[in-house]
Amino acid sequence: MKKYILEVKNISKSFGNVKALEDVNFYLQKGKIHGLLGENGAGKSSLMNILSGIYQPEKGSIFINDIKQKSLDPESASELGIGMVHQEFRLIESFSIKDNLTLSKANIYKDNFKEAYEKYCEIFSLSVSPEKLIAQLSVGEKQKIEIMKLIFKNSNIMLLDEPTAVLTPQETDQLRISLERLSEEDEKTIVLISHKLKEIRDFTEKVFVMKNGKMVAEDLSTVNVTDDNLVELMMGRIQKSIIDKSNKTGDTKLSVESIEYIDKVSNYKILEDINLEIKAGEILGIAGVSGNGQVELANIISGIESDYSGKIIINNKDVSQKGVKSRKKLNLSYIPENRLGVGLAPGVSVLDNSIVRDYFKTRLGPHLSRSKTETYLESLIKKFSIKAPNSKAEISTLSGGNMQKLLMGRELVSNPEVIIASQPTRGLDVNAVEAIHTLLVDQRDMGSAILLISEDLDELFKLSNRLHVMYEGKIVKSLDIDTADINNVGLAMAGVIE
Amino acid sequence: MNNLKLFKRQTVNELSTFYSFLIGFIIAIIIGSIILLIQDKNPIDTFSLMLRLSVGSIKSLSSSLNKAIPLILAGLGISIINSVKLWNIGAEGQIFLGAIAVNFIYINTQFNSPSFHILVLLLAGFVGGSVCILIPAITKVVFGVNEIITTLLTNYIVFGVTIYLINGPWKDPKSLNFPAAAYVGEEVFLPTIFGKLSFGFLICILFTFLAHYLKNKSVFGFEMRIAGGSAMTAVYAGINAKQKAFIAMLIGGGFAGLAGAIELLSQTHRVSTGISQGFGYTAIIVAAITGMRPFGIFLVGSLFGALSIGGSVIQTIGVSTYIADIIQASTLFGALIIQFFFNYQIKRVDDD
Repeated sequence: MKKYILEVKNISKSFGNVKALEDVNFYLQKGKIHGLLGENGAGKSSLMNILSGIYQPEKGSIFINDIKQKSLDPESASELGIGMVHQEFRLIESFSIKDNLTLSKANIYKDNFKEAYEKYCEIFSLSVSPEKLIAQLSVGEKQKIEIMKLIFKNSNIMLLDEPTAVLTPQETDQLRISLERLSEEDEKTIVLISHKLKEIRDFTEKVFVMKNGKMVAEDLSTVNVTDDNLVELMMGRIQKSIIDKSNKTGDTKLSVESIEYIDKVSNYKILEDINLEIKAGEILGIAGVSGNGQVELANIISGIESDYSGKIIINNKDVSQKGVKSRKKLNLSYIPENRLGVGLAPGVSVLDNSIVRDYFKTRLGPHLSRSKTETYLESLIKKFSIKAPNSKAEISTLSGGNMQKLLMGRELVSNPEVIIASQPTRGLDVNAVEAIHTLLVDQRDMGSAILLISEDLDELFKLSNRLHVMYEGKIVKSLDIDTADINNVGLAMAGVIE
Repeated sequence: MNNLKLFKRQTVNELSTFYSFLIGFIIAIIIGSIILLIQDKNPIDTFSLMLRLSVGSIKSLSSSLNKAIPLILAGLGISIINSVKLWNIGAEGQIFLGAIAVNFIYINTQFNSPSFHILVLLLAGFVGGSVCILIPAITKVVFGVNEIITTLLTNYIVFGVTIYLINGPWKDPKSLNFPAAAYVGEEVFLPTIFGKLSFGFLICILFTFLAHYLKNKSVFGFEMRIAGGSAMTAVYAGINAKQKAFIAMLIGGGFAGLAGAIELLSQTHRVSTGISQGFGYTAIIVAAITGMRPFGIFLVGSLFGALSIGGSVIQTIGVSTYIADIIQASTLFGALIIQFFFNYQIKRVDDD
C-alpha cells in the first residue's frame, strides 16, 4: 500500500541542550497541499531542514514511497524529489531566469525548455522572457521562479517556508491558485509553512501543528477544525501572570499619534495609523508575529527611522523631528530586537559597547576618559551580574544572556523614563529570561513607561498591564490584561479579527 | 570521527601582536638566511653587515630613521582609516600628491619667515594627501564603492600627474633632461636634529602620539570603532557612521601627504618620481603587522627603515637589495600566521 509519499516517524533532534524536535511524526499524501502551523521556534524549520537533508536526525526514520531512507543529505534528498523554497531566495541574481531554472543537473526539461517554461508561466500567470535577469524581477516574480525551479528539478515534494510573507494579498491569492493547479495537474505534494490561520485554511486540506519541538496535532482536516482550536494548539494554555499589576501609574510618558510608514523600496505600507500611549509605571505589550511592523515601530519611536508621518511625544515634548540623541536625552532607552549587530557592535570591545548609550553625556570635549568608562563598566557588571572575561574582550565572546544583560544594563542604569524593549528574551535560557523579566518589572515599579514588543504570549501576559495586537502594520486589537482572552489575542495575531 | 575545529579564544594576550611580530621576524630572518645560503652567501656575515651599516653609527642610524619617517606617517594614516574598518591602499599616491601640493604652494606664495613658510608647506602636504583620498572617500560614503579599489587606482592617477608635471609645466630646464621639477630653495629645507636625522622625525613622534590619542583616547576614536564594528549600531547610537568614515579617510590621507611633504623638504628637495620608493605600500605591511597600533607602527616602521638602508648597502658585497623586501614581506606573513594562533585555538572534537 502506498498511502503516504513521505512519512517521518519519531524524529528527534537537539542542538546542545535544546531539544528542537522531539518524537515528531509527519506524513504527506501524494498530490495534496499540507499546512504546517506553529510559532517561531516551534521546530518547523528544523523539521524542514531534516527533510531536505541539511540536518541529520538523532533518532527516528524517514520513509519516501515506503522505502526507508538511511541518511539524507542535500543531494540525495533532492534526488528523491524533495525540494524547498527558503524564505531568503536562493536564486543567482546575475543569471537569467533560464540559467537559474536549468542550473541543476537534475533538470528534466533540457530539450524542451521552451514548452515547459510556457506551460508553467501559464500556471503561475507569469509573463516575462526567460532571458531576463533575476535581479530585474519583483519579489513576487522571484518567488514564482523559485517554485518553478523545484518543478524543473523534478521535485515532487515541495516544501515552501512562509511563501506569502513577502507577497501582497493579490499575489497570495494568485499563489494559491497556482499551487492548487500544481497539486491537481502535476500531482505535486506541497507543504506550506505558515503561522497565518487564514492561509492555512485557504490553501490546505490537512494541517499539522507544532509547539515547542513537538507535533501537537497530526493530519487534522482543515475543514473540521476551528480557528480557536488551532490557536490553542499553537500557543498552548497560558498561565495568568503572577506578577502584581496593582502598581500605581502616573502621567503619560510616551504617546504615539497616527504613525504611518511606507517602505521606500517596495512602496509597501508597513505601518498604518498607529496610536498608543504609555503612562509611567506601566508596561504596554505589543503582541504580534514578527514582521508585522514591530521593528519599524520601535525604530520610529527611538528615532532611528526618521522618514514617517505622525507624532511622537516623549514627556510632553514633541520629538517627531528629533534624532536619536535628543530622544535619549529625554531619557528614552531602546533595547533592540537584534542584540548583536544593532544593540551591540560585533568586533568591538565590551568596554566600548558598554558606553554606546551615554558616551556623549560624559565626554569632556574630544576626550574620552578611560578610567571613567572602566568604572562605569565595572558598576554595570556588578549591578547586573554580567559575566565578562575582561573589558577589552570582544563582545561576541560573551554568552547571549550576558550580552543581553550588558545591553539591558547599559540602557536601564540611568533609570530611563521611557523604555522600548523589543524581543528582550528571544533565544535566552530560562534563568536569563527570569533575570530580564525582573529587571523590566523593577524598572516599571521605579516609574518607567515600558513598551514591550514580543512574540511570546507567555511573556506578554506575565509582564504587561495592557496589550495591543499588531497585524500587518496595524493595531488590530487593544485589551486590558485582566480581561484579555488568550484565544482572542492568538486569533488576532494570526489575522482573524471578528 | 575525529575532527579539528577552530575556537575563538575568549581572552587574547595583550602582547600577542608583539610576540607574533617577533616570531614573524625570526621566521623572516630564517627564510632570508636560506635564500642567502642558496646564493652561497654567509647569512651571519650579511646580516651583521646590514646591522652595522644601518644602525652602527650616528650617520647610518640617522639615514635609517629618515627612511622610517614616511613609513611611520603613512602607516599611522592607514591605521586611522582602519579604525572604521576601511583599507587605504592609496598612501603611495597620497605621498606624491602631498609633495606636489608642497611644490605648488612653494611656487605660488611668498613668505618672509622661513619657519612659518615651512609650516605652511607641511600643512599643504597634509591637505594634498587629504585631497588625494577625497574622491575615494566621497565614492565610498555616497555610493559605497569599495575603497580598496579606488584608493589603489588613485595611486596610478597621481603617479601619472607627477610624470606629467615633471616632464611638462614643472620641468626644470637645469636638470639636463632628467624629468624632475626645480629644487626648492634652501630656506625651506627641514633642519636636521643630529647627524643627518631630519626634523621630520620629531614631527613623526608627535604624530604618533596624536594618532594614538585620536584612535584610543578620544570620543572620535570610540565613534570610529563603533561605526567600523557595525553600521547599524552606529545608527542606533546616533553616530553618523558615514561622516566618521569620511573624516577618518581625510585625516589618514593627510598623514601620508605629510610624509610626502617631509620627503620633499628633507630628502629629495624637488618633485621627482623618487619622492617615494614604495613607502605607501610598505606602510601597509607596517600597519598590518602591528595590528594598527600607533606605537607599534613607530617601532616597526623604524625597523623597516633600517632594513631598507641595510638592504641597499649590502649590494656592495654582491647581495641583492631584495633581501630586505623579502624579510619585510615574510615578517608580515609570519606575524599574521602566528597572530591567528593567538586568536584561535585548535581543538580535536569528536563528531559522530
